[in-house]
Amino acid sequence: MTTLLETRGLTKNFGGVVALDHLDLSVASNTIVGLIGPNGSGKTTFFNVVTGIYNVDTGVVVFDGTDITRAASPTIHRTGISRTFQRSRLSLPLSIFDNIMIGNHTRLTQGIWFNLMRRRAFMREFEASYLAARRLVEVFEPRLVERMFDPVAGLAMIDRRRIEICRAMINQPKLLLLDEPSAGMTHEETTALMDDILQVRALNQHLTIVIVEHEMSIIERITDHCVVLNFGRKIAEGPYRQVATDAQVQEAYLGVT
Amino acid sequence: MDAGLLAQYVMNGLMLGTMYALVAVGFTLFFGVLDVIKFSHGDVLTVGGFTALATFVGLGALGIKSSPFVLLIMLIVAIVVTAALGMLIARYLVLPLRTAPPLNTLLATLMLGTVLREAVRLFYPQGANPKSFPALLPTDALTLGQFNLRLDNVLMLAAGAGVIVGLQLILNRTKLGLAIRAVAQDEETARSMGINYTAIVLVTFALGSALAAFAGIMNGLYYNEINFGTGLLLGVIGFAAAIVGGLGSIYGAILGGFLFAALQIIGAVMLPFASAYKDVFAFAVVIALMAWRPTGLIREKISERV
Amino acid sequence: MRDTAHGPVAPLLPGAAALAIATVYLIALLAVETQSLIIGLLMLAIVTVLGVSRTGLWASVSRSFSEREDALGLLSIVAAFAVVAFFHDHHFVLLLVVTILLYTIAALGLTIQFGYAGVMNFAGASFFGIGAYTAAVLNTQTAVPHLLVLPIGGLVAALIGSLLLLPVLRTRGHYAAVVTIAFALLFKTFLEVNDGLGGPQGLQVPGMNILGWSLNDNMTFGGFELSFYANYFAVSMVMSIGTFVLLRRLDRSWIGLNFDALRLDETAAGCFGIDIARWKIIAFTFGNFLIGAAGALFGMVGGFVAPNNYTFADSLILVSILLLGGIGNAWGVAVATIIVVVVPEKLQTIQEYRFLLYASLVIIVLLFRPEGLLPRPVRRYFAGWRP
Repeated sequence: MTTLLETRGLTKNFGGVVALDHLDLSVASNTIVGLIGPNGSGKTTFFNVVTGIYNVDTGVVVFDGTDITRAASPTIHRTGISRTFQRSRLSLPLSIFDNIMIGNHTRLTQGIWFNLMRRRAFMREFEASYLAARRLVEVFEPRLVERMFDPVAGLAMIDRRRIEICRAMINQPKLLLLDEPSAGMTHEETTALMDDILQVRALNQHLTIVIVEHEMSIIERITDHCVVLNFGRKIAEGPYRQVATDAQVQEAYLGVT
Repeated sequence: MDAGLLAQYVMNGLMLGTMYALVAVGFTLFFGVLDVIKFSHGDVLTVGGFTALATFVGLGALGIKSSPFVLLIMLIVAIVVTAALGMLIARYLVLPLRTAPPLNTLLATLMLGTVLREAVRLFYPQGANPKSFPALLPTDALTLGQFNLRLDNVLMLAAGAGVIVGLQLILNRTKLGLAIRAVAQDEETARSMGINYTAIVLVTFALGSALAAFAGIMNGLYYNEINFGTGLLLGVIGFAAAIVGGLGSIYGAILGGFLFAALQIIGAVMLPFASAYKDVFAFAVVIALMAWRPTGLIREKISERV
Repeated sequence: MRDTAHGPVAPLLPGAAALAIATVYLIALLAVETQSLIIGLLMLAIVTVLGVSRTGLWASVSRSFSEREDALGLLSIVAAFAVVAFFHDHHFVLLLVVTILLYTIAALGLTIQFGYAGVMNFAGASFFGIGAYTAAVLNTQTAVPHLLVLPIGGLVAALIGSLLLLPVLRTRGHYAAVVTIAFALLFKTFLEVNDGLGGPQGLQVPGMNILGWSLNDNMTFGGFELSFYANYFAVSMVMSIGTFVLLRRLDRSWIGLNFDALRLDETAAGCFGIDIARWKIIAFTFGNFLIGAAGALFGMVGGFVAPNNYTFADSLILVSILLLGGIGNAWGVAVATIIVVVVPEKLQTIQEYRFLLYASLVIIVLLFRPEGLLPRPVRRYFAGWRP
């Protein structure tokens, strides 16, 4: 079991609020890890720090052997980390294809001459990209394929979440961070989403996933390992069944017994 | 340098600083209450100044010329007109655009500034030319060496300081001020506490705009002249001054105003041959400031939720 | 919404018909001299547009333009030549046409910055002026070939713009706005106090001269008189076509997508590897280059440059063109430029009021139809492409 992502002593303050408090966390390769905890326990902050959106106060983040603590978001992405956002952050006026291609940025040719002048070569790259995006969309919802060039604004929430996951997956990351993918969805939609995630996993055995969720049925069903946060600290970890019965965890969620 | 000359520069700095501070405080009020930068604020100042001038001309036509009386009426009329203008702007432009992307409000208020500026230029008789503003304060002066301590300047400084202090009192010691600060901090909670949100917004805009009118008249009295473009210049510098202090802080806005004035005066002193470039210098400072501290000397609250 | 990439390509007819009607209308508007007739024509246009926009015709014309762009582009060029042929000896109208073309190029430069990448530039007229002043200085003081002066004007504008890069990159929202507003005011004041550049009076600009052919000479073919502005029309036309093609390719490429991504959500864009600074720099610099080059030609066409033509209010006019025409839609920009340039020239009474008028119009647009005349369509990388 190799460690893919590791943080040591990770601390992040906002004004007087301690969001992450000397957090030591490690994620093993090829596993699905659930990150749970009450509201405000630092889960999204953790994602934001790892992906370079926030600067770290103290501590270290190491990914695949590389120290990414002080790196900027684009650099971190290039090491193989992709994510979705808690509040769905798709570009609404853009098409499904465009949104997915944003996730494909590092694999597309970005030279000015190529894009402006070599239109035939560009056409070939465009068509290849279309096929790749289409393959991915078909996994989640084949009916979206015919709407590939429609604006995302017209899609239902569950479809938008799917496209967000496609965007994060298209360039085959090593680590996928999912932030509350089931937020705003019904029970049926949540079940469908879980199937999607498992299918994704089946497609790519070398993918490691960390998923933040409040919906415990998802955590129970798909994760190999759980980490529980409270007030920015890790208070328990282990398989779901084990942490669910942990006294400290119950207290964190339910208050003092 | 001669002490008298120094004192003269200091006086210039204080006057300029007070004017910038008044404009900057307006920006801060609007931003605090509605998270909006009303780019037309400087031009509201111009409207205030010209309204005062029009009142003066009107009163003169009616044969009323008694100095302090005239000035008082001008002040009242200008303040009432700009306060009303501020409320109209809030009610029909800014509030309706709250749900639109903030960029639209920015653009709309920029355009509104142009409308106000052009309206003055086109509809005020001979508006395109600088107009002389009457000297309505006693011009007696106390001569201390090289320095002429003019009574009108002292009166204006005192009035300006009085207005700023008055505003602080309103904000910190009255129920209205409390309501304004509550809305500025958290709209939802303020509403649930029973505060009439729209009314408070309108009042805040009226207040800020009235401050601009005061600054406009002060500007006119000090330079004995007003010009349809003055408001735009003062507005940009006033906004930069508000940024310096960190948008949302009244003290910061005042500090910023005086800081800018100091910079301009120092610039004028150090490069006396380039006095025509003083505005160029001021704008260059604004740009440099944005390069150095994009959100002001005091951090703006991070409002983006990721 | 049906994905038309799987359906038949939009017909050419609606777009072509609209173009033909618009061309005839424009010729009529430009030809008529009586103020009351002009007002009548303008009323007719407003009523027609408002009426048509309620039917499906507007949408079908829009689709026609976005999918049959190649053909309609060629037809537009033909239309432009038709207008010029009709007014072949009419100096005033031809100058207007040249002005429209050059303003359109500047507005397209602004489109790259603001419409595509979301980088605000409230000093567009200043960069236009930088190009014009560069032409003034180079044409009088040096022997640099005039055709070369155009890209040099663009380069100077881009270079001076790069002084603003640090604050532009580090700021967002209202803070970013102040940077270019301050620059616009700074530029005009600087020109007025600097006697080396002519002060408030400005400078004369010698007309363009390409390899001995002086563009300031009228030409006669048999009995056919051609105003010398037609020469400038030819040069501007080449520049405009080049700019249009460039913009279209830029938008329909991964670069256009990068611009959109960073305009719509900078944080997310960064998380997917997009180098925000790099693309903002490219957008801002390239946009200024286009604006400056157009300005250089404009200086030569007009024959003189003065600070009063490149004020903050003029920059706001450029921004107004984008907002009225539809941000990010090149066709919308062209139409809006025609409106903004032609109407005050024909209705002399409102010439003085044009800043007031357009600012008010933009406010109304922002309140009631923020997407402008022609909203920007979803990106289709290749018109008519089907998987």
